[in-house]
Amino acid sequence: MLLDIFDPKAPPKAIGIDLGTTHSVVAHVREGHPVALSTCDGGPLLPSVVHYGEHGQVLVGRNAKSYLTRSPERTIASVKRFMGRDAAEARREGWGTNELVQPGSAEDERVVRFDVGGRAVTPVEVSAEILKSLRQSAADQLRSVGGAVITVPAYFDDAQRQATRDAARLAGIEVLRLLNEPTAAALAYGLQTRQQGTFAVYDLGGGTFDVTLLALDDGVFQVKSTGGDSALGGDDMDRAIAAKLLRAIGFDEPSAAPKPVLALALESARDAKHALTDRQEVELTLPKSGGGEVQVSLRRDEFDQMILPLLERTGKAARRALRDARLEPAALDGVILVGGATRVPRVRSYVAELFGKEPLCDIDPDLVVAYGAALQADQLGRDGGEALLLDVLPLSLGVETMGGAVDRILPRNTTIPVSARSTFTTYADNQTGFDLHIVQGERELAKDCRSLARFTLKGIPPLPAGQARLEVSFHVDENSLLTVHARELGTGVEQQVEVKPSYGLTDEQVEAMLIDALDNGEGDFEQRRLVEGRVEASRVLAATERALAVDADLLEGEERRRIEQVIIDLERSLRPESGANGARLEALTHALDDATNAWAGRRMDRAFQSALAGQEVGRVAQTVEHARGVDAHVEEHGKLR
Amino acid sequence: MNPFETLGLSPTFTLTPAELEQRQRELNRALHPDRHATKTPAERRRALSMAMDINQACRTLSDPAARADALLALLGVDRHSAETVTDGALLMDMLEQRENLEELRKSGARDGLLELRRNMTERESQVLSKLGECFEVLLGAHDQGEARPLDTERSAGLARAQRLLGELRYLRRLTEEAGAILDEA
Repeated sequence: MLLDIFDPKAPPKAIGIDLGTTHSVVAHVREGHPVALSTCDGGPLLPSVVHYGEHGQVLVGRNAKSYLTRSPERTIASVKRFMGRDAAEARREGWGTNELVQPGSAEDERVVRFDVGGRAVTPVEVSAEILKSLRQSAADQLRSVGGAVITVPAYFDDAQRQATRDAARLAGIEVLRLLNEPTAAALAYGLQTRQQGTFAVYDLGGGTFDVTLLALDDGVFQVKSTGGDSALGGDDMDRAIAAKLLRAIGFDEPSAAPKPVLALALESARDAKHALTDRQEVELTLPKSGGGEVQVSLRRDEFDQMILPLLERTGKAARRALRDARLEPAALDGVILVGGATRVPRVRSYVAELFGKEPLCDIDPDLVVAYGAALQADQLGRDGGEALLLDVLPLSLGVETMGGAVDRILPRNTTIPVSARSTFTTYADNQTGFDLHIVQGERELAKDCRSLARFTLKGIPPLPAGQARLEVSFHVDENSLLTVHARELGTGVEQQVEVKPSYGLTDEQVEAMLIDALDNGEGDFEQRRLVEGRVEASRVLAATERALAVDADLLEGEERRRIEQVIIDLERSLRPESGANGARLEALTHALDDATNAWAGRRMDRAFQSALAGQEVGRVAQTVEHARGVDAHVEEHGKLR
Repeated sequence: MNPFETLGLSPTFTLTPAELEQRQRELNRALHPDRHATKTPAERRRALSMAMDINQACRTLSDPAARADALLALLGVDRHSAETVTDGALLMDMLEQRENLEELRKSGARDGLLELRRNMTERESQVLSKLGECFEVLLGAHDQGEARPLDTERSAGLARAQRLLGELRYLRRLTEEAGAILDEA
């Protein structure tokens, strides 16, 4: 199943995936319009539930959901809430119907492991099962599936994003892009309705809340600010109702209830929430411990009261996002509703009060995110297509300084991709190592922020305090993923380290899971590497040919000859009779990359120059060199911020 | 690289947020990694790195104090000397305003805080316009190749720019603090 990634006859089609807390959706673009594909359950919505059967079988979707009350310990729902979280956070959450594996070490503590009938599975593996099922459904309908744009809550931090990417890797999916859910929704609305202006996206899903403010202007979707809570959603409404039900059957403390009772209460709560969308009152029946049953009624106004504290949390995040974007609600042209939980009538009325206008929900709030992801996947195949998404970093990134405070290197709501540098110095004489602790979050103290990475830069020459200087640079890519470089400047001896933050699972662990997941372990893994190597080699070859057709004049000296030689070698190795393995293809692809590196730089410089030249004259289009002596640039002063 | 150069802009202090945003969009249209998703890995890396620098340069230039820093760097002023305030009268004024703010915080006088913030904002816009004039002269001389290190007029201009920048920084800090107190109340 993992080996049908590449069908040479049909061009692979890119897909968009909304990997949701409650359900997941896969979509693609057909004749310019996004279409949701049917999942293994028949409809477009696949419940994000995974069941691990007693004989090793894995079920996903509605089938798995039917085990939620029958076999809760082997069935995992709302796994998204655990992505990139550590074991302590999962315990605090307290409401899971699954048993967690007790961490054996501090390293173990960094990742949640569910105990499913004696087997430990991580949230990354559970999510990978959902993704595999979606990919398979897409493959059944589209024949050949290419890469995928996968959506994540805008408020996901680096660890949660890394975990999502690893889940895709485990599922055999090439991630074209991690796209923020509200931005995806805005893209779907923007491209469908051709509206311009400033919009708010209020996205209340099963387990996450995002609010994003963005400006749509001439094909550019520029996010102004984003805020939210990656542990707040419809699930919390269910819990509020379930708590009432559990009290009625004698469990004042929900966590004291046996897992099957808890699962049943949550299920009834979900049904009650849905029923209250159209009705004013619902009756719930629940079996009592020790026999008999109990009737509980719930009125809509009572439910509205229950969820008010949750709504107020969304209101607080929304007001902060407005402040960050320096916008008043009156300045908004519209409010877009996303996420199944926005079907709750009280949510709609709350949003209308919050922003002072009736929200838009023309596109199905359960599908709009997947539509946006599909549109973006389609555009990436055309190098961006008509729209450009300029998103922001959701949470500030910084370094812990002496005394445990945080030195912010990149503040939240900075447009991405972006890089920034900061210089640090030694605080003790003859200090030979720098401890660096990278954190993400808005709190003043490092211990209250999310810890992304810790590392030590060693081998600093012994010098008096303050003499050695360490330059730390942060690079945040278009997926909001961080890479950190550090180098010592003081002595002129450059030593550099590159750190990718990890959320608890190392690359090696993910690779081991990957091999485990394949039927024939290593053998299949080699085969998969060969298939992927062929896809990548063909892609790089095609891209190089296209570049040669456009910018061959930028080649210098021996470059052309070298590039052509590698092309010949690579083409030869791609022939089936060559017997080249995955490693060989990777090495040659890498060689082609090396040979085109300097030329690529010149091509991008040309793109930069033509972007500048493309502007109206009178609007100061010259580069610094050209502008010497011309300073007719006296205009209104910079606005106060 | 200097942020003005990164964005292909001629160095100036008077840059409106709208102009900057416009430039950010145009350059991202050309260099954002999504625009190069089907290109060679080398091109994608290069585009990503240029887009990172472009967005960072926009962030720098959108902040007047950081913009002034960048201009001073272009004019050859060391960053560290630009950060120290040595003006006695300014220091006294800072202390006074800070005490004032502290008293208002204790008494919780909302009107007083609002007025203080209004005053600070007003002074801020005056400082910004003075900085604009100051840099115009300095950059004009720089462009015509009159940047001789011993030129007394030039060093007076630079000192003035640095003093104004120090004033700008403390005014903004006070405005922010007053704002934070108002938000909490």
